[in-house]
Amino acid sequence: MSDLEVSARLARSGVERRRARGGPGGGRAARRLPGAGESAAALVLLFLIASALVPQVVAPVDPLAISPLEAFRPPSAAHPFGTDESGRDIFSRVVHGTGPSLLLGIAATLIGLAGGVVLGTAAGMLGRVVDFGVNRLLEVLFAFPGLLLALFFIVIFGPGIVTATIAVGVSTAPGYARIIRGQLLTVRRSAYVEAATVLGRGRWRVLVRHILPNTLAPLFVLGTLGVGQAIVWAASLSYLGLGAVPPAAEWGAMLAAGRTYISTAWWLTFFPGLFIVLTATATTVLGRRLQQRVREQG
Amino acid sequence: MTRPRRSSALTGAAAAAALLLLSGCSSPAPSGGSAEPVEGGTLTYASGDAEPTCLDPHVGGNYPQALVSTQYLESLVSLDEDGKILPWLASDWEQSDDGLTWTFTIRDGVTFTDGTPLDAEAVRANIAHVQDPATLSSTGYLALGKVANAEAVDARTLRLTLSAPDSALLESLSQPWLAIQSPEGIARGMDANCAAPIGTGPFAVEAWDRQSSITLVRNDDYSSPPGDASHEGPAYLERIEWRFLPDSASRYAALQAGEVDVIDNAQPDTIVQAQNADGLQELDAPRPGSSNRLELNSGKPPFDDVRVREAFIRAVNVDDAVQGLFLGTAERSYSPLSSVEPLAYSQPDLFEYDPEAANELLDAAGWTERDSDGYRVKDGERLTLRLPVSTNQSIPAEQSLFEQLQAGAKDAGFEVVLDPLDLSSWYGALGENDYNLVSAPYTKVGPDVLRILYESSGTTPAPSGYFANHAQVRDPALDDLLIRASQVSDPDERAALYEDAQRMVLEGFYILPLYDQQNTYLLRDDVQGLRALPTVSAPTLYDTWLDR
Repeated sequence: MSDLEVSARLARSGVERRRARGGPGGGRAARRLPGAGESAAALVLLFLIASALVPQVVAPVDPLAISPLEAFRPPSAAHPFGTDESGRDIFSRVVHGTGPSLLLGIAATLIGLAGGVVLGTAAGMLGRVVDFGVNRLLEVLFAFPGLLLALFFIVIFGPGIVTATIAVGVSTAPGYARIIRGQLLTVRRSAYVEAATVLGRGRWRVLVRHILPNTLAPLFVLGTLGVGQAIVWAASLSYLGLGAVPPAAEWGAMLAAGRTYISTAWWLTFFPGLFIVLTATATTVLGRRLQQRVREQG
Repeated sequence: MTRPRRSSALTGAAAAAALLLLSGCSSPAPSGGSAEPVEGGTLTYASGDAEPTCLDPHVGGNYPQALVSTQYLESLVSLDEDGKILPWLASDWEQSDDGLTWTFTIRDGVTFTDGTPLDAEAVRANIAHVQDPATLSSTGYLALGKVANAEAVDARTLRLTLSAPDSALLESLSQPWLAIQSPEGIARGMDANCAAPIGTGPFAVEAWDRQSSITLVRNDDYSSPPGDASHEGPAYLERIEWRFLPDSASRYAALQAGEVDVIDNAQPDTIVQAQNADGLQELDAPRPGSSNRLELNSGKPPFDDVRVREAFIRAVNVDDAVQGLFLGTAERSYSPLSSVEPLAYSQPDLFEYDPEAANELLDAAGWTERDSDGYRVKDGERLTLRLPVSTNQSIPAEQSLFEQLQAGAKDAGFEVVLDPLDLSSWYGALGENDYNLVSAPYTKVGPDVLRILYESSGTTPAPSGYFANHAQVRDPALDDLLIRASQVSDPDERAALYEDAQRMVLEGFYILPLYDQQNTYLLRDDVQGLRALPTVSAPTLYDTWLDR
């Protein structure tokens, strides 16, 4: 959550700064070239997207093909990431696990954003009573750690990849809702909205034409940042045995299966873990970059 | 069964002194080397088995209960290493010529830890407790199936009247699930008795901090060790901290760090690692009763067709899986019984991996088409097998083994759905007959376990709701063999009948034997005198002492 809150504050402070400068698109917008970190992140994401879309090209070996007598082989030329307890190729499993993991992260983020937009807009636009109600609801939800909310959800609806996605999405929604509400309130009080209102534009028109576009741009950035977090959460759920079911090649499930052997065969956990970290880092780095662009462009 | 210690204990006085200095321990140094047991101290035991929901093993009756209750409860008889029956709380017994009346003499001078004296009436009350449906017993209840009446003739004499001769009665009574508890303790009601059962054992339950640990304290008035114990009087240890550490890697790490002294359920890779590590010992004691096996539910499609059962068994390569996953710590089994059972009968040729034969059998059984995923289809239905996996009972290596079988079966066209479940959901799935395959190890002393697992009446649930015949075998000829075997007194005839019965189970393809029920304890080098009780191989800490 903290990551999102920081981003929200940054996003908001951007708006405020713009306002202070007396309007959009001011000042030191000398566009910066992408740094080494961003290039690396882009490369990682490209690789991940390729793995997600055409895993059989990136890793031709069948991720489910067992070979019991070749279990626990350390990384080698034949198996760059080694083999797991059933002799399956870990490189292939990690690559084939990208699709489900990314899809899960993106779908969960979209669910969270959608829920956040609905709640946040309701709170920001529908007057005091609704605002009060939504805020109290959000406070109650914030009392629980997000992962706990996801666990509640799974206990009720049963484990599996679909419920895990919805669970992660639902439990990120309160965070987005609060950010959107704050953003809405800021935008609503801005000069151009005031101008539109004074010019006699209808309430809905003002919302759709002026307020939402200015609220949703930072939201896109938050979404990018959120994907990484959602992937980590989804992996945590699978790690706890509440997400993907065997023999699916899913990063969290692979971590959980390898955990038993962590002191004798480190590669079972290292590589799926590395991919989780890389994905989360790459999306965060690019998300920040996007954020900067949005701020600079206004 | 017990491996010799690989490294000798510290014998030199200097080393002992150094150890004392290092550990700041106040107990006296072993004067004559490791042979002289040291009194006192707290031993920390970390169990990887499920935490029992009730510490009274009469209720339900599973292995996690047996592990801990062996420290505070005792049975009427015990077994020695050769499987011979030893007196314990019963000092003597005899049976009538027709085998229908058994008279037990109850040991004199023993009291429960609440001060209640042990007498024939107390034992009678225990039998009544197990047989009372409200107790929800399954293991003990089934083992006492033939006991029609129990009567305390006088303070020291108990008479059991049976409905049919029972050649397994003494073996049954040796089990921890039929241990004797204080009748006063039982009378407190199930909740209180589950929290702290009262027995005659060397330790007593002091506190149970649920989800964490059980504290056991020494019974200073203890006087009833079985004949094969290596000392008399109270135990050496003052306390036992019985912790639950379900994660095998952290359990082993805790042992290495010296946070705990003994761990159970050591995993294959851990055992191999410990064999090459300094300062650790291994105690290997496979459980009696059934082997670890997959039971094929013959009570409903598609396994009601013997050809489909055989096809599944031929389609999977268990040998390679056991070799790859168990790293030489477990032997492949081809028998319904554990290898420690003297009457275990094996028939390896029935379980040869033969994918071609599997395909032919499935074709012959009418599963000729395949769908786009490569699974076989008949009349629009996919050849799907549900395998609920108890994540509490199946160790990670076994869960991986199931994944490997799943992959092998897929080539033949079976879709095996692995369903990882917690223990209560797993019992639920079995109760609702929502499974085609299941691994449910059953521990019982002696070959009579076959009657519990494969006789028709085993499909009827015990009061706890549990039924043991998961293969749902209903074969009158097999029933007849098993009932006769449980009644004959001639050992050769008994052996022959059990062999026929096992052959029938194997040839009917009702089970796929995998490997023995493993039971490996790892302990630190300064833990002395730990042994597994030969009944069901649960550890007993009575003779155990700490050389520190």
